[in-house]
Amino acid sequence: MTDVAVHRPGLRSWAELLVCELKMVARDTAGLIVPIGLPILILVMNASAAGRQELAHGRTALDVYVLPLVFTMVVATTGIINTPSFLAYYRRSGILRRLAVTPASPAMVLVAQVAVGVLQTGLGIAAAWILALLAFDAQPPVRVGAAVGVVALTTAAMYAVGMIVAALAPTPNSAVAIGLALYFVLGALGGMFGGRDSLPGAIGAIGEWLPFGAAVEALSAAWSGAPVAAAHLIGLSAGVVIGVAVAAAFFRWE
Amino acid sequence: MPGNATSIAVEAGHLHKRYGSTVAVDDVSLSIDAGEIFGLLGRNGAGKTTTVELIAGLRRPDRGTVRVLGLDARRDRARLRQVLGVQLQASHLHAALTVTELVRLYRSFYPAPLDAGELIESVGLTASSRTRFAALSGGQQQRLSIALALAGRPRVVILDELTTGLDPEARRQMWSTVEDLRDSGVTVLLVSHAMEEVERLCDRVALLDAGRVVALDSPAGLVRGAGFAQRVTFRATEPVPDGLLERLDGVERVRVDGDRVVVEGRGDLLQAVSVGLVRAGVVVTETRSRQATLDDAFVALTGRRLENEEEATP
Repeated sequence: MTDVAVHRPGLRSWAELLVCELKMVARDTAGLIVPIGLPILILVMNASAAGRQELAHGRTALDVYVLPLVFTMVVATTGIINTPSFLAYYRRSGILRRLAVTPASPAMVLVAQVAVGVLQTGLGIAAAWILALLAFDAQPPVRVGAAVGVVALTTAAMYAVGMIVAALAPTPNSAVAIGLALYFVLGALGGMFGGRDSLPGAIGAIGEWLPFGAAVEALSAAWSGAPVAAAHLIGLSAGVVIGVAVAAAFFRWE
Repeated sequence: MPGNATSIAVEAGHLHKRYGSTVAVDDVSLSIDAGEIFGLLGRNGAGKTTTVELIAGLRRPDRGTVRVLGLDARRDRARLRQVLGVQLQASHLHAALTVTELVRLYRSFYPAPLDAGELIESVGLTASSRTRFAALSGGQQQRLSIALALAGRPRVVILDELTTGLDPEARRQMWSTVEDLRDSGVTVLLVSHAMEEVERLCDRVALLDAGRVVALDSPAGLVRGAGFAQRVTFRATEPVPDGLLERLDGVERVRVDGDRVVVEGRGDLLQAVSVGLVRAGVVVTETRSRQATLDDAFVALTGRRLENEEEATP
């Protein structure tokens, strides 16, 4: 009777779950407004305020300061606020509990959620980028490869932070509350409400190492053609490692 | 003891589970034979769902052990998930996915699943296969939930509140599905607070009250524990002469409460009581007769009725 071989769901099963999650998102039209509408809104609000004078390599303040901030905010919003609250809803409604009595693993659900979130974020960034190009004469980053790499690393870091929230929040309500609080703390320390230069020295320095501040700085550097500082890459990587470790250790089905 | 393990499908030993100061499960031991339909019957809050969650490995017991087909519910979880199908009470599925999409998803978790079309057909959802979960009726959602529990060809199935919220027709369909399962050699653990369901389906039943197993027997054996086989009640418009009823054939106990009379006993009690009263010229009304049920056994054991809505007034 104990001759049951361990069988883990294969790639086909992962793909099936991913498709299901995509359908869930695509059929929830209201849920698409934040990741796609928000970046465009932030861009429009900030673009006209940014000065037109060139800072370096023909890039303006819009390119060097506004776009990195907008892109970071998009990634942080879906990663730290949306995904944890979606998972919290799954947990409350018993969907995760139902999956927990099948051979599906929690990792499958987390990965599918992240993949869908990343896709949504990608759509949002693409929409904002096209609008910035057409309406505000935005310039591409001087170092495109570095910029793409930083966005990818930022995405990983923000979702890892979101997974900490999903793993540790005891209730769906607290998941949203903790996610929002964390988002605003990281954002404030990272220059979301005005430059980090205006923060007290020590706090500003800490903010530069945290994922939000590190992402804005690194992306800004890539855009203006400056080298990306190691400190920012280390800060983002540390976010990824810590987030994955905490989520893997503490995530529960219910 | 490998020889022993082949005949026992589920073995729970001295399970304890406490939530804060509430003891949900208090020293529950069960041994379910392979191929039987085993009922777990009790009032709401008796600890049925917690017991099932411990057996399914969803919760860790404070004390005690669970083995399903010889697999430890916590340590061998990965293997257990492949041989155990679970239909959980009040758990939802992805609301925006259709019946077919959900069946495809859950099938994909198992190495040798049942055919999707046959599975949907077996729970009578073929006509609704393109309907989203959120748009299904309660009964249809329940049937889908059961289909998903069977998707991986489990050898043991746990069904929690199988027919709650179903109409009589759907309920009968569900019962025949469960009987088909037993016929194919699957072991079923059926959680219920519906006596009729348990009496009809189960080979053996454990009665749970306040976290403890208060009785464990076949439904017929439990009913014998009610202390009577037949009960006749009536209203007497005039006093019944002393000792008249007690002398009748098969009468074991008589209780008089104002003009309401309860006679308990065995054999053809209604016939004996009616004839006896007519001979004595006593006119009675509202005569009712019924056989002892699991509910009566439950009252005899716990002093309370099984169904919440009719609280016992002894």
